[in-house]
Amino acid sequence: MNAAIALTDTLPGITLSSRPLARLAAAGKIYGTGENAVAALTDASLDIHPGEVTLIEGPSGSGKTTLISILGLLLKPTSGEVWLEGRNVAGLSERQLPPLRARNFGFVFQGFNLFPALTALDNVAIAIQMKAPDARDPRGEAKRLLALVGLADRAHHLPADLSGGQKQRVAIARALGGDPPIIIGDEPTAALDTKTALAVMELLRELATVQRRAVVVVTHDPRLERFADRVVRVEDGRIQAID
Amino acid sequence: MWTLARKLLLHDRLRFAVAIAGVSVSVMLVLVQVGLYFGFMDTASSIIDASKADLWVGKAGNESFEFATPFDERAFYKVASVPGVERTERVLMNFAQFKLADGGDLGVQIVGIETTAGHAPLLAPWHVIAGDANRLSEAGAIVVDKGEYKKLKIDRVDYATEITGVHAHVVALTSGIRSFTTSPIVFADMRSARSFMPGLGANAVTYVLVKVAPGESVETVKARINALPHLAAYTTSEMSKRTRTYWSSRTGVGAGFFTTAVLGVIVGFVVVGQILYSGTLQYIREYGTLKAMGARNSMVVRIILAQAMISAAIGFVVGGVLAHGMQAAMAKANLSVALFPSLYAATLVVTIAMCSFAALLSIVKVLRLDPASVFKG
Repeated sequence: MNAAIALTDTLPGITLSSRPLARLAAAGKIYGTGENAVAALTDASLDIHPGEVTLIEGPSGSGKTTLISILGLLLKPTSGEVWLEGRNVAGLSERQLPPLRARNFGFVFQGFNLFPALTALDNVAIAIQMKAPDARDPRGEAKRLLALVGLADRAHHLPADLSGGQKQRVAIARALGGDPPIIIGDEPTAALDTKTALAVMELLRELATVQRRAVVVVTHDPRLERFADRVVRVEDGRIQAID
Repeated sequence: MWTLARKLLLHDRLRFAVAIAGVSVSVMLVLVQVGLYFGFMDTASSIIDASKADLWVGKAGNESFEFATPFDERAFYKVASVPGVERTERVLMNFAQFKLADGGDLGVQIVGIETTAGHAPLLAPWHVIAGDANRLSEAGAIVVDKGEYKKLKIDRVDYATEITGVHAHVVALTSGIRSFTTSPIVFADMRSARSFMPGLGANAVTYVLVKVAPGESVETVKARINALPHLAAYTTSEMSKRTRTYWSSRTGVGAGFFTTAVLGVIVGFVVVGQILYSGTLQYIREYGTLKAMGARNSMVVRIILAQAMISAAIGFVVGGVLAHGMQAAMAKANLSVALFPSLYAATLVVTIAMCSFAALLSIVKVLRLDPASVFKG
């Protein structure tokens, strides 16, 4: 796992438990121009620390997805800064962003987004290959990650033959491919029953606690708060509170 | 990469089968159409190509090999006396009426050749499969192709008939010698040929075949012959090319065959393009996920191109086998489909290009795919 970045400054009102891996500083996103301009996110500041689970909550359309998209370098902010690997990366070109994403982020989605034609093993291995084309043994690494999420015996199953919880575990194993320090989940438990959802969150919590990864999860489900170190509440495009 | 591409393609086997069918039909059409064209062209120049002459000399102004105007035999002696000419032989070509067993007549193309004993002629029937072509020197002896049996309504060597009212009998059979004009080719000795075509006169010659003396330049001798009035000399390869070009351009056969071949490529392009595109749409979220995770555009593009190349490779093999089947089937209908290594190589290149271009739409789609879209919905 990559070492934490050397950000020494603290943001006002934020208590740091360690050096942050990533930071949003007054980040904002406006879609459209002139009269049609819509502010999806305004003045969002947030530090992401290793070993912490951060929940992002808020009603639909509040700016949660915009927030994690900017944090995950999938969307460029129209204002503010995004710090990663010790530098402000908000102004980097589209060509420069993929390797940064590959090194720093793993993503988990509500709909799993697994290739239906590929086995669990292949789904994880291909992500490793894509992130690190020079990887020595992507299949071996994929096996190790599947074992880590408790799916060693399902490695050769197609997604269609797996339960929702198992699919999400495969997706988490895939997110861990390339050993990124930050895992971002977009409502990863929304499509799962309560028991499975809690099991998935437990796994994410474990990844934060044991492997010191930063886990950022967007959710509507207040029951997941017990797994979080912090809960960021977003409303009307603004961070209203960090509990 | 290749494994992923293969698995993505094979996941929907029906769609994969349609893609392969599209490429295969395209490959088969290209091979068969272009092969037919070259087959026809080979047929058009087969007599020239089979000759051992260095030069073909005809009347100046002749455009068509088959419909060449004869000239007087005195020109033959003039050519024979040109310095550097080692040997000359006469050829008389024209059309005559072959009497059929049922009483009807069929137009045949007589090819009168020299059958002087003692040395191999510069032009003689080839691919002889039955009888004895050396008997051509007999009065009325002819050699026909077995492929023309049906048209000529004959069934054996020694079959006797009349050509323009003159006795003729089959002394040998060849295989695979056909005329572009569709009239069966009938080889005969010069003496017999003249008797079959009395209207041409007793001294008519259509071509003079020239063997250049050892150490002499063919081009130099050609220039000397061309200096003679009313005659035009061509090397054998020039004569062959002229004949092919004549039939290709005059009949539009080239344009016809190549248009069909191009249509085949278009059909393949559309089918493969549609299949690849629908496959890309099916996996668009997964491709987006890979891009979100940091996969470069080039990597995702390679997955799509790999699918196109797999389709091209399998389609080419299947199409090639189909083309071979068509070749065999067409041979039974007396049609020659010329399939040769360079045609296969060119068709493979066309197939790869076709499938690559067919993948363009899919490639544009994934290049424009916003990785942030994976968070939307």
